[in-house]
Amino acid sequence: MDESTPPPPDHNSSPPPPPPVTVSGSPTDFLKGVVGKRVIVRLTSGVDYRGILSCLDGYMNIALEQTEEHVNGFTTNRYGDAFIRGNNVLYISAAEPI
Amino acid sequence: MASQILPLELIDRCIGSRIWVIMKSDREFTGTLLGFDDFVNMVLEDVTEYETTPQGRKKTQLSQTLLNGNNICMLIPGSAGPDS
Amino acid sequence: MDPSTTGIQEPFDLIRLSLSERVFVKLRGDRELTGILHAYDGHMNLILSDVEETIMMVDPVDENFEGQGTVKVAKRKMEMLFVRGDGVILVSPPSRT
Repeated sequence: MDESTPPPPDHNSSPPPPPPVTVSGSPTDFLKGVVGKRVIVRLTSGVDYRGILSCLDGYMNIALEQTEEHVNGFTTNRYGDAFIRGNNVLYISAAEPI
Repeated sequence: MASQILPLELIDRCIGSRIWVIMKSDREFTGTLLGFDDFVNMVLEDVTEYETTPQGRKKTQLSQTLLNGNNICMLIPGSAGPDS
Repeated sequence: MDPSTTGIQEPFDLIRLSLSERVFVKLRGDRELTGILHAYDGHMNLILSDVEETIMMVDPVDENFEGQGTVKVAKRKMEMLFVRGDGVILVSPPSRT
């Protein structure tokens, strides 16, 4: 085995280098983009939480700051911080430009 | 060959296109698919949420949105959704 | 690290920082609790003490056309409580301001 030998340089015929990794739009990339931003978290029950996304984990457990709870368009509660258990989450939507 | 193409490969080909997402409940979404993962959590852009309630159908416009794959039932690629 | 967060790197940090504090817990089935948080785990199973439970019940007979039926509120107190994690929707610690 001789894995250390690099392939012979051949600048003329080698394919162009792959383009730099652009934003692939994956869920992970989206989440990296929205941490620290205002978001709307809707639960499967239809209740909305609007606030600043502090952080989240692989279960979609979410920590929100300056949270407002909305039910049918009415603000029903305010929380300084809120932990939302991920299994209840329907979606996380950006509420300001990412 | 039982299947030449995996279901998620088909969805992968829809990235950049409009897609119609039907949830297990009376809820549907349309949007431009930006990406998804192995759980079929999906990132959509220019999203419309359709909620069917006894009072009628409610529409909500959303910008970039991460949809939890847990509650997704069906995906219809290239569709403008229930209004089409 | 986002400067707006106060040393919170994952959602469970919010809960960890609330140990021994009075927390608000929203549960499935229109139940709410406040109590002192003694313990939690990765399922969000909780041990609370000095708990007050609030149960909201909409009276279907009185439900008017706007769907805002009369809400009956029942409260009760428990000394010590185990909460199974799968019923938890939201936990809010006391404001750290």
